[in-house]
Amino acid sequence: MFRRNACFASILKERRLINKRLLDVHRKNKITMFDNDFIALLPEMFLINATILLLIYGVVYSTVHKVFEPLVRNVAWLGFSSILITLILLRGSPLTTANLCYNNLIIDNFTYFFKVGLLLSTACIILMSLQYFQQEALTAFESIVLMLMSTCSMLLMISAYDLIAMYLAIELQSLSFYVIAASKRNSEFSTEAGLKYFILGAFSSGILLFGCSMIYGFTGVTNLEELAKIFTAPYVLRPLSDSVMLNSADASWSGVFMGILFIAVGFLFKITAVPFHMWAPDVYEGSPTYVTAFFSIAPKIAIFANMLRVFIYSFYDPTWQQLFVFCSIASMVLGAFAALSQNKVKRLLAYSSIGHVGYLLIGFSCGTIEGIQSLLIGLFIYVLMTINIFAIVLALRKNRFKYISDLGALAKTNPILAITISITMFSYAGIPPLAGFCSKFYLFFAALGCGAYLLAFIGILTSVISCFYYIRFVKIMYFDTPKTWILYKPMDREKSILLGITLLGITFFFLNPSPLFLVTHQMALSLCI
Amino acid sequence: LPKRQSGVTFRKACELAFKRSIPPFFEPLGAKPFFLKNKEYVSMLQNINPFYSSLSLSALILFPLLGGLFVSFITESKIRTIRIVGLCTSFITFLYSLFFWLEFDNSTPKFQFVETIQWLPYSNINFVLGLDGISLFFVILTTFLVPICLLVGWSSIQKSKKEYIIAFLVLESLMIAVFCMLDLLLFYVFFESVLIPMFIIIGVWGSRQRKIQAAYQFFLYTLFGSLFMLLAILLIFFQTGTTDLQILLTTEFSERRQILLWIAFFASFAVKVPMVPVHIWLPEAHVEAPTAGSVILAGILLKLGTYGFLRFSIPMFPEATLYFTPFIYTLSVIAIIYTSLTTIRQIDLKKIIAYSSVAHMNFVTIGMFSLNMQGIEGSILLMLSHGLVSSALFLCVGALYDRHKTRLVRYYGGLAQTMPIFSVIFLFFTLANMSLPGTSSFIGEFLILVGAFQRNTLIATLAALGMILGAAYSLWLYNRVVFGNFQPNFINKFSDLNRREVFIFLPFILGVIWMGVYPEVFLESMHTSVSNLIQHGKFY
Repeated sequence: MFRRNACFASILKERRLINKRLLDVHRKNKITMFDNDFIALLPEMFLINATILLLIYGVVYSTVHKVFEPLVRNVAWLGFSSILITLILLRGSPLTTANLCYNNLIIDNFTYFFKVGLLLSTACIILMSLQYFQQEALTAFESIVLMLMSTCSMLLMISAYDLIAMYLAIELQSLSFYVIAASKRNSEFSTEAGLKYFILGAFSSGILLFGCSMIYGFTGVTNLEELAKIFTAPYVLRPLSDSVMLNSADASWSGVFMGILFIAVGFLFKITAVPFHMWAPDVYEGSPTYVTAFFSIAPKIAIFANMLRVFIYSFYDPTWQQLFVFCSIASMVLGAFAALSQNKVKRLLAYSSIGHVGYLLIGFSCGTIEGIQSLLIGLFIYVLMTINIFAIVLALRKNRFKYISDLGALAKTNPILAITISITMFSYAGIPPLAGFCSKFYLFFAALGCGAYLLAFIGILTSVISCFYYIRFVKIMYFDTPKTWILYKPMDREKSILLGITLLGITFFFLNPSPLFLVTHQMALSLCI
Repeated sequence: LPKRQSGVTFRKACELAFKRSIPPFFEPLGAKPFFLKNKEYVSMLQNINPFYSSLSLSALILFPLLGGLFVSFITESKIRTIRIVGLCTSFITFLYSLFFWLEFDNSTPKFQFVETIQWLPYSNINFVLGLDGISLFFVILTTFLVPICLLVGWSSIQKSKKEYIIAFLVLESLMIAVFCMLDLLLFYVFFESVLIPMFIIIGVWGSRQRKIQAAYQFFLYTLFGSLFMLLAILLIFFQTGTTDLQILLTTEFSERRQILLWIAFFASFAVKVPMVPVHIWLPEAHVEAPTAGSVILAGILLKLGTYGFLRFSIPMFPEATLYFTPFIYTLSVIAIIYTSLTTIRQIDLKKIIAYSSVAHMNFVTIGMFSLNMQGIEGSILLMLSHGLVSSALFLCVGALYDRHKTRLVRYYGGLAQTMPIFSVIFLFFTLANMSLPGTSSFIGEFLILVGAFQRNTLIATLAALGMILGAAYSLWLYNRVVFGNFQPNFINKFSDLNRREVFIFLPFILGVIWMGVYPEVFLESMHTSVSNLIQHGKFY
């Protein structure tokens, strides 16, 4: 330990030198370091302030006037517009690549596109939840504020460059999530979901933190860049240096390995990969539908960004790969088989999202540039399809759309919506020429490229099996004679626009996929190089 | 090789006729407009006539799709307009596809009308469209059958009439795209996307409750097979860095890799053909699909498998093809004899024709894997002929089903007395189905037997046995349905075919006789491409 610390001391000295040089440069330009941080973090800061202001606004307004119901919509619109402003600020940010706050945060192409994706999907979810508040007479404007709060923390998560910054961001996000899961106070299911999520989430956060502290204990650093140096060293530097770096035969190596393992488990829990998925179906089913939509989209984006940064960039090492291969296979298989027997829509979607996480993990466990790129493409298309299907689930309300069999008469009562569902389901199943196929094809390509034949093979088997339940939607709508005729209320304009855009995206993505491929390639490159 | 003549003369005749029809426009200016030189005159002709030489495959693919889009904006209540628009679209597509045949150059094995549209330039995957002697007739068969399908559903389709038209138009453009596509990955994309409209056609317009099972079987069997092909394509892409067929044909894979890839492709195509252990979906899907669905299934979708063998497996993996030839022979012979015997004891009219389709398609695979001129050309011809004959037989069954709402053979009998026109047409196609000389099937099966005999006498003999069995079930079926006692207990109202139905059958009859009497018109376009295929794989 002593020797290693000596080594780190040398690294630290080097860093101090660099910082000093940087400071000199800044002094010459008459800019202090904080200025740059301020400019670069303007979007995040704006969103945090807007969230706090919205909270104050909500509290004051709801106690002064006794108008509850319009208030939620009001706050939602304000939240929506503040997210759009954040997006504009992000777009207009003069800095594209920088390490901020003493190397605690980073911005580059990778974080930029992830942040744009996250903000857009949050905006979509706020849009689709507008009508829900009205119909359910839900008065909780706090849920919108909490959604914004968790979005802020997810923005920070995406750009986290230090284990501590990462943990803090994840915690803020999780805390907001526990509350919104239980935001429908008069529903037992919602409370149950919140409680379950809270207990298991706290447990997994603990494991994550434990992993971080183990890494810190055995290496003495928490910064991802320093970690990256240390983890590259055993392979690159060993012949040159006299083995002060980590050595896989060393006893401390197993400690570091355990740390990585714990961190991985913490992350896998948050993205609902099997075998850490137990909470997901209950939480997804119990929470209010718009919260389910939020849970199955936004945290996946942020956590995948964070995972890529931590595992591909820092812990660049094949030891963790087997764990992800296992989780990927397990998620695909469980997602395919468990969804077969589900009758409730939200539960089925939960299992389908578990399955999709399995597919995304194929790209993750490859670890190559193609793998990362395929993961990003898969993630984008998954988000597109999930926004679409949840907008539909929210739109179909008599009192609620709970069972799949409720769709029976939809093809007669609302043919366009029925076609939309069928196209989305075919896309989920990965039938060409829809968008879902493009993501699967590239994932399998990446798997074959890095020699993970088993992953590709099992992915193909499970995607055939999962076809059964995706096609079941089509079957129920078109082929069966409906047992019940349910007339749904018409949906609002926001959702129909959202549905139109996502449906066009899913159907015609095939015609011009190259922009997405180029963007994801750029992201993957900026992560790897 | 016999020299081709008539195509060129026909084309020249067309050009001449067209040129003659133009001058009246310019009559005031003299026979030829004074301000145009001879060359410019021709190019102007090309501009006036869209079909003159600027034939574009992408336009052929897009046209039905646009028609479908247009139809989707007309309200359901104007059903007559919808039908006419749909029919016109498909009919114009058919005419347009005929111009490709006219313009087709028989003397080159290269792909013609090649178009490249950038798709993923960064990964080197592009839309590459093109036709050669092998794919040309499948495109024409497709465009020929779709108007027929729309006509068949003219009055018999009662629910979701608009969607019926749209589904068939979308299906048409997807199928044309499959046959034109020269890029492996995009071939796969269209090969699979055919599933969606077909699944919906079986499920929505099928007749009984069992249709759901049939649609599921159709969908999942095909999907399961073809996902392995996807893996193989990705492997090829990974190894060579391209999926362009024209480049891949110049690539040679190691023998072991070829065998692996061949098996993966086989898994997909064998389901479509269908070869024996995976043929279960076919009788189900045929029986439950609406008449037009059966026509498309038998006429085109079954050909996708054999076309795939011919286009991809045989030229890209020649050594693996030779390695697996005995395997294919065995499976095909088992299929021919087994399904022929099965056909004899079926009692459902559609199932009988479906099983006989399996037998014929396995005849095709034998011919294809005999890997000589006669065998392969015979197999293409038999595919075309089967596309006409079995489609027409399904139409016959559909005509009966529309009237009496049953497909069970035992309820029918003595139709010769009550439906004379139908009986004659049904007799014609029954005879064509058992490949009577003078009909198209005879040419195909004869050529296949000639080809197979050169390779393996035993296989040829066993396959010929299938022809005898075919005669047995065809004639027996005809006997039971048309002759025998009139059965007033079951069926007491009769009406013969109406004018629309007779007009539907006429082109089929003409086609069958044309191909049976003078097949050279079709064969001459194939000669160069097929001999190139054989040369390429060094099969001689």
